Amino acid sequence: MIVAKGVGKSFGGERILSGVDLTFHEGEVVGIVGPGGVGKSLLMKILCGLVEPDEGEVTVFGRSWADLSVTERAKLRERFGMLFQNYALFDFMTVGENVAFPLVQRGDMSAQDVQERVVERLTQVELSGVNHLYSRELSGGMKKRVALARATIGEAPIIIYDDPTAGLDPVTSSKIFNLISDLQRPDSLSLITSHDIERMMPVCQRYIMLYQGGVYFRGTAQEAKQSQDPVLRVFFGGDAVDVGRRTMAGAEGIS
Amino acid sequence: MTQMLTVMGARIIEILQLIGGIALFFLRTLRALVPPKYDARETWRAFYKVGVQSYTIVILTAMFTGAIMVIQAGGTIQASRATSFVGWAAGFTVLSEIGPVLIGLMFSGRVGANNTAELGTMVVTEQVDALRTLAIDPMNYLAVPRFIAMIVMLFLLVALGDLFALLGGAITSHVMLDISYSVFVSQVIDAQLLDEYILGLIKGSLFGMSIAIVSCYFGFTVRGGAPGVGRAVNNSVVASAIGILAIDLLVGIIHHAVR
Repeated sequence: MIVAKGVGKSFGGERILSGVDLTFHEGEVVGIVGPGGVGKSLLMKILCGLVEPDEGEVTVFGRSWADLSVTERAKLRERFGMLFQNYALFDFMTVGENVAFPLVQRGDMSAQDVQERVVERLTQVELSGVNHLYSRELSGGMKKRVALARATIGEAPIIIYDDPTAGLDPVTSSKIFNLISDLQRPDSLSLITSHDIERMMPVCQRYIMLYQGGVYFRGTAQEAKQSQDPVLRVFFGGDAVDVGRRTMAGAEGIS
Repeated sequence: MTQMLTVMGARIIEILQLIGGIALFFLRTLRALVPPKYDARETWRAFYKVGVQSYTIVILTAMFTGAIMVIQAGGTIQASRATSFVGWAAGFTVLSEIGPVLIGLMFSGRVGANNTAELGTMVVTEQVDALRTLAIDPMNYLAVPRFIAMIVMLFLLVALGDLFALLGGAITSHVMLDISYSVFVSQVIDAQLLDEYILGLIKGSLFGMSIAIVSCYFGFTVRGGAPGVGRAVNNSVVASAIGILAIDLLVGIIHHAVR
């Protein structure tokens, strides 16, 4: 479904990603993990064509972003749904309008069908009855659930969840991961970036760990836990779920 | 000396880059106009925000402008007993020059700054990225409606503002110079200022276009979170003001040459 070959990206002279090779298949739920600032969100934006890599290429359904015209890119993006780290809810729209937006823009459903689908999806994320509210009137957890409803309502074949539990309490985080699991369809690919490895475990089948600008690990949580690699042990061991760069650098000294 | 030249050179390159960026953004906006595929709801929202929410401030600005023109000229007019020229003088300066420029500057401070802040916030909170993920071109969805709304609404606001500027002038003439309203109106009509009125409206539309392009450009190019939005708003207001005065000068030169 998605193939990344030798992807690299720098910002302001600082190399963030380098030589990233990845392949993702239909039906997978993949966790993208790594310390803060390592380039997880950037990689997600590169995969869905929002950011152009400095080197390498990304192909989606066999088509390289680099070879597509503006119109073709827009068409291919219709096959993505994305939950953004900062919610990215349109603040001039109500909750109902935000969730309906992807369907309205697609223009292949009647207004009544769109409305029914919105109500159904909001009920699934346990937010029935808030259609008329604006995002500024919602709590962080509610905003995430609205963003989740908007990302998945179009039933796109590829869904990207960029740090879906950032800033949320443990109970709400568990709820969000449960919803992601419930909304997962067998024919779709889901990519989840998060630091919350413990709560990701029941949802993700395999993991990609980014570290020092490249892919450091790919495999299951079990494989990571059994590894003798100190960085993996710190990250997947459960003692330090959310480790920053310094902690990770320190872990390299562990023998 | 070398350091000073380096700093000056860097600044000149920065300004040229900015002008180039704005020019390219203008061309992209024109390109996005054809074929017309902008969102009707977003266009309506832009018209409402840009026009309906601005008319009170435009009316106030215009009335004060008309009044000030008469107050400034009042002493000289009374001394030279040329009160029959009050209507002409107020009409001429307000309709062709002061009215559109002051309304444009006011509009840029209110609508342009607001537009940059709104788009900039949408950029830093990833709302623009969200649009692109939904296969929606932000140029079509956000820039084009604002571009059209600002051109049309500033044209209408200048048309409305001119009338209130003359009303402000008429009231002040009546109070200060004891000129009746009917005499003031007949002086304005006798002065045959249709050309100046149309010139002012054309300027208004061009100012609207300039404010739309500049404010959208700075909004879309915001970098660096909330402080970046603040910087962009600041730069947008300054650049819009320069744009208004530059267009005013250019139209003035063309009008003078054609006459």
